[in-house]
Amino acid sequence: MTNRTDKSIIQARNIEKIYPNGCHALKKVSLDINRGEVVVIIGPSGSGKSTFLRTLNQLETISDGTIHIDEVSLTDRKTNINKVREEVGMVFQSFNLFPHKTALGNVALSPIKVKKKPRAVAEQEGRELLKKVGLAERMNNYPSHLSGGQQQRVAIARALAMHPKIMLFDEPTSALDPEMVGEVLDVMKSLARDGMTMVVVTHEMGFAREVADRVVFMEDGELVFEESPERFFSSDNPRLQRFLGQVL
Amino acid sequence: MEKQSHLLLWKAVFVLIIIGLGFGIYAGSKSIDYTWRWERIPQYIINTEATTVRAPFDGTATIEKGNRLVVTSDYGDDPLVIKKFDNLLVGHGDLVFEGDPLVEVENWNIGPLTWGLVMTLQLSVVSLVFAVVIGLFAGLARISSNPALRYLSITYIELIRGTPLLVQIFIFYFFIGTVLDLDRFTAGVAALSVFTGAYIAEIVRSGIQSISPGQMEAARSLGMNYVQAMVNVILPQAFKRTLPPMAGQFINLIKDSSLVSVISITDLTKAGREVVSSTFAPFEVWFAVALMYLVLTGALSWAIQRLEKRLSASD
Ligand SMILES: Nc1ncnc2c1ncn2[C@@H]1O[C@H](COP(=O)(O)OP(=O)(O)OP(=O)(O)O)[C@@H](O)[C@H]1O
Ligand SMILES: [Mg+2]
Repeated sequence: MTNRTDKSIIQARNIEKIYPNGCHALKKVSLDINRGEVVVIIGPSGSGKSTFLRTLNQLETISDGTIHIDEVSLTDRKTNINKVREEVGMVFQSFNLFPHKTALGNVALSPIKVKKKPRAVAEQEGRELLKKVGLAERMNNYPSHLSGGQQQRVAIARALAMHPKIMLFDEPTSALDPEMVGEVLDVMKSLARDGMTMVVVTHEMGFAREVADRVVFMEDGELVFEESPERFFSSDNPRLQRFLGQVL
Repeated sequence: MEKQSHLLLWKAVFVLIIIGLGFGIYAGSKSIDYTWRWERIPQYIINTEATTVRAPFDGTATIEKGNRLVVTSDYGDDPLVIKKFDNLLVGHGDLVFEGDPLVEVENWNIGPLTWGLVMTLQLSVVSLVFAVVIGLFAGLARISSNPALRYLSITYIELIRGTPLLVQIFIFYFFIGTVLDLDRFTAGVAALSVFTGAYIAEIVRSGIQSISPGQMEAARSLGMNYVQAMVNVILPQAFKRTLPPMAGQFINLIKDSSLVSVISITDLTKAGREVVSSTFAPFEVWFAVALMYLVLTGALSWAIQRLEKRLSASD
């Protein structure tokens, strides 16, 4: 057992989340994630995967526990959450591209408005990022003129434009037609190869097997089980077995 | 083919109905023995009537080089020099007596109806700007998580929407106007913008709420603060979506501005009333006034349609 605490970039300890409607979505969830590590979270619907992911950039506040991102406490009232979010990119299941901006406009917006970069610089960087995700030809298209797979790749480029240290993915391929899943997963794989710290909620077991350093299983708001992919998929944990039996 | 001839038929029906209506108006006016005097109307829009300049004293007229008329007095008054005129009524060397017509000058005077139109336009534009600002803030306050802001906004919207504009205008002029010492125009603009602002607030609220929450989340996840996300992501999208109801509200504002004539602001409607009393041609005047309002509202809806077209590039 290695001691992760001193090099972990994400430290989540005993997180509790109770929604205003009383739903107890996270129960004593603790997870440390190292720099450059790819962690895949799986679990049945309603198990709290999205909720957990969204607490990591405070799109959801937590009811109890502590989260540190790169040694900055998210529960400390003095922390500027906008600064933290610049370091933590997020990719959504439904893309959430800005429909009134072109692909390039989506990618360049935040660097211009938040990082105060000159437009020309932000757009140059944006073009390179879009090239990297294979969309050199589509920079001036509006989201409504892009396929789902293309939109999701723009969304990844948009998050990368802020030069985050961590990328969060919430079921990035679940809203895609099957033939487009591959192109998005390829971008994510190359990101992982480049050493990005990634937390990925997905049902793509192939991706988990191939790319993940660790796989986490959640159920009923609890973190049930975490292991390396080899051990994870050969585990005989009964709750995990039941879930894998359903999805595979 | 079948369908086309049907369409043509219905278009013909439309034209017939319009002609019928026109004839109805004509027949109606005949039945009450009304004589149409349309020729009286244009002078109240633009007055090109010539005014005659008359001699102020007895003297002699001379026409100098450069077409200047000079009248030298018989009794040692300063000579009268007229440099610009349209029709000369005296000859070189003519003797003129006090009160004789000398020249005619054609002046283009803007008539009272046009002044009324200008006033209506001023009222509408100034009120519009304030109404949009008030509406934007009230709309944002309406969806704020801060209860004080939210309840204030709800109270404002309900108070304004629950009372007639005419009553609000009186309150603004006679009460608030007296307390704060506002002139008519300011009181009118205040009443109109506060009234329209309440409706715009509701349009803004529904526009913002129609944008999927994912947009705000995406913007915030990129490090934008609430204001940056609103300004750069939510409001531009809401703006586009609210253009049609906004256009309706702006047109209402132009029309509602006619009510401020009750506090003696000489807008298009009040000008119409004044012209009626001097022409005794009420039908023509009110038709002309209606047409002038139509020009304003028509131009506005045309401009907004253009804007909508331009914004539809991202659809
Ligand atoms: N905004 C909310 N308000 C109240 N309850 C919520 C809210 N969002 C999620 N929940 C509840 O919290 C629990 C966890 O939801 P969450 O979305 O995190 O699950 P998930 O594991 O991501 O599921 P899925 O695979 O369907 O996305 C669920 O019971 C859900 O109903
Ligand atoms: Mg989810």
